[in-house]
Amino acid sequence: MTAPLLAVDALQVAYHRVAVALHGVSLRVMPQTIVALLGNNGAGKTTTLRAISGFIGLDDARVVAGSIRFAGRRIDGEPPHATAARGIVLVPERDKVFPNLTVAENLAVASSARAGAAVRRDLEALVFQFFPALAQLRPRLAGLLSGGERQMLALGSAIVCNPELLLVDELSLGLAPVVVEELTQRLSDIRRQLGITILLVEQNAGVALTIADYGYLLESGRVALEGEAAQLRGRREIQQAYLGQASGEERRSYRALRRAPGVERPNGRT
Amino acid sequence: MSLQLLANVFVLAAIYALVSAGYVLVYRVSRVLNLAHGELMMVGAYFLVATTGLFAGNPLLALLLAAMCGLVMGIVVYAVLMRWMTGEAVLAAVLITIALGILLRGLTILVWTTQQFYPAAAFGWRNPPVAIAPGVRISAASLAMVFLTIVVYLALFVFLQFTRWGVRMRAAGQNPLLAEQRGIRLHGVYAFAWGLSTFTASLAGMLLALDSGVESTMATIGLKAFPAALVGGLDSLLGAAVGALIVAAAEIAAIEYVDPLLSDVVPFLVLLIILAIRPWGLFGSREQLDRV
Amino acid sequence: MKDPSPYARELALFGTRTRRIRLAGAAVVLLALPFVATPFLLDLANQVLLASIGALALMLLTGFAGLISLGSAGLLAAGAYTVGVLVREIGAPFWVTLPAASAIGACLGLVFGLPSLRLRGLYLAISTLGLHFVVIYLGGEYEARETLSTGIMIDSPSLGGWTLSSGRAWYFVLLAFAALALLISVNLQRTRTGRAWRALRERDVVAGALGIDVQRFKLMAFVVSATMTAVAGALFAYFRNFVSIDAFSLYLTVQYVAMIIIGGMGSLAGAVLGAGFVILFPYVIEAIAGYLPERFGNTVFALDYAAFGAVMILFLLLEPAGLIGIWHRVKNAVVARRGASAS
Repeated sequence: MTAPLLAVDALQVAYHRVAVALHGVSLRVMPQTIVALLGNNGAGKTTTLRAISGFIGLDDARVVAGSIRFAGRRIDGEPPHATAARGIVLVPERDKVFPNLTVAENLAVASSARAGAAVRRDLEALVFQFFPALAQLRPRLAGLLSGGERQMLALGSAIVCNPELLLVDELSLGLAPVVVEELTQRLSDIRRQLGITILLVEQNAGVALTIADYGYLLESGRVALEGEAAQLRGRREIQQAYLGQASGEERRSYRALRRAPGVERPNGRT
Repeated sequence: MSLQLLANVFVLAAIYALVSAGYVLVYRVSRVLNLAHGELMMVGAYFLVATTGLFAGNPLLALLLAAMCGLVMGIVVYAVLMRWMTGEAVLAAVLITIALGILLRGLTILVWTTQQFYPAAAFGWRNPPVAIAPGVRISAASLAMVFLTIVVYLALFVFLQFTRWGVRMRAAGQNPLLAEQRGIRLHGVYAFAWGLSTFTASLAGMLLALDSGVESTMATIGLKAFPAALVGGLDSLLGAAVGALIVAAAEIAAIEYVDPLLSDVVPFLVLLIILAIRPWGLFGSREQLDRV
Repeated sequence: MKDPSPYARELALFGTRTRRIRLAGAAVVLLALPFVATPFLLDLANQVLLASIGALALMLLTGFAGLISLGSAGLLAAGAYTVGVLVREIGAPFWVTLPAASAIGACLGLVFGLPSLRLRGLYLAISTLGLHFVVIYLGGEYEARETLSTGIMIDSPSLGGWTLSSGRAWYFVLLAFAALALLISVNLQRTRTGRAWRALRERDVVAGALGIDVQRFKLMAFVVSATMTAVAGALFAYFRNFVSIDAFSLYLTVQYVAMIIIGGMGSLAGAVLGAGFVILFPYVIEAIAGYLPERFGNTVFALDYAAFGAVMILFLLLEPAGLIGIWHRVKNAVVARRGASAS
């Protein structure tokens, strides 16, 4: 059995020492897979990403218990530039580009720790291949881009860092469905062509599960469900509960979701 | 306004602009207002006093050495002191710079006493007045100051816009967290910004020293230059240049037409006016106002 | 006496018995001091009391309401100059000059406070800095026009034949004023105003949303603080029998800011402690300078500057909670040790 690229074990994170945001989250991300991290606002998805990428110091948050291992080595508590040097690159939910730099400058400013000049040039060319629209926008200030273009630039500037593990926080937030569809496709292409591993945080379960291989559902700081994307995808209940599409009698409670057959509970029971 | 007055405005504006560049560099890159900037400029001037003492026969070497010391001074100030305030509240960092200024003032007097120094005399240079137009004279050092300021601004512009380190510094100023994540080492960028800031301040201090000598109250010019940076917008170099012109024009006009005693307060009157009508300055970015 | 209700107990000034005993003890020490201290120490004590008033005022404004102000020197100057000008121009007695100084202080407080309605943090501090220079300029203008190169001389205040000039008499007067300032501060802190100020300090946007009249309380903080500071300035003028604009430099403002930082932000006791520290500091340095080689001994004021800057940096870096913070830490360590040895 292959070892996971990222292993989070019983992670507990607290804000201001008192407000516990994660109550023992465990997840595994296998190499070269796309794993979806689903859940509502406040479920703890962004906190998990922050803990992994080293941004945890924001808002006085701290890893209180548990561990995070990347390629076998413990990384919890490392600062952002250290995790970036290991190959973990984050595309944040907000403030994801440098607004007063041009698109070209945004791509050029990325680090050279993991990529020499030649590798960077190749990656940059690849980025323009994946996102042809960006090529036209090279001299444009990033702050003036549309939401979709900005997300493309954010993904592109992450790729130029030569990541092994790409963390994407809320790919689809605020974007039109058409744009989201294209972006998710690109993400899948990127995974296939570059062999990158991706951990995708999404409120929109449907979007995430179209390209994910495996999925975790966070609820109030705990893993409520996990399973192969195919199984989760097939569960209309998940889509209804988390896209708010349910109405009237069709509305399921979370409890009903848990009793649904075929969906794995965290400790292996169904 | 007579041509001579206009020339005086440009000379004063050059002084303010060169000093303001330092305020802008540090603020734009690390969001810290360095209120010790005037004292650092003064230390730069004293560096020249020290190097002329050592190399009186070789003015060029003395100047270069003093300028290099100025650059190193900024990096040292960051590495030893300011780096501990990175990530802390901005106000605490500003208070530390105020304390640093006081410390520097005391140290310079302890080392060099309150005596006045004239490096130009040590070189044997008389700093002659230069006629730049019929009936218009400014000192040679002042002329040099104007040219130097233009050169420095152009160099800074090219550096920030077109070089790798310059883009990194602009990125770090806009979004420090993202910069860290994209592999930009904030400590390195900040240290370099401080170094550049004290380098330009030292150049200003050295030229002022050559023009009118060095003494321990020189740092006040640094504080008077601050309104120029604020008027322009604390994170804009272009703004600092424009702000310097505005403040210098106001000050010269007030001295000439109203009351010479106003000279020290006019920059702050301009500051109050700009705070009342457009606090983020003429060319500054508005978000900065709320972030602090 | 019947045990007061819990709420009344919280509001009461002299709540617990221990507190009352402590207060009585402190009162005895304070009242006895002028009879046992040397004239030099008495003058030091007077200086500390005088500085405490300004420090308390600044603590209210910055430590409690969170409004950064670099206007201390300007306001002290305003109070002192009101006395100087009135005494010089019309020979006014103290019972005219002191209220006049407070009135000027209140007006200036309004002026210094207006920017706070639009600006926050750094920009507010900068605006008060600008106003400082304007006030200093006005004072300098007056001195220049009246060709008072050495400042204004002021006679000690007198009432019906008795003149306030002895160190001991000044001690009681200043003690009374300082106690009054402390009482006002403590009371403000406990009432609605104090709570509103604390809300302002945390998040004034949220405070506004909660229905607190942000503008009114911000201006009130500035006016109260400025009035207290101006009165302190007026007392300073009488205490030294002398007013000169040179005494009111930016360095003086920084000293007051240092008082509230070194003392401990947000603590009234801290303001007094900080005032004591900053006032006594130059004397300590001067004593040390006596042991240093001749050259340093000659420029004691420079040594004072350098040492002061260094100490301020140390406090900001290592103990941002100030002397009060150190006190709490020591107290907790002692209590913990006692608890550990008891069990």
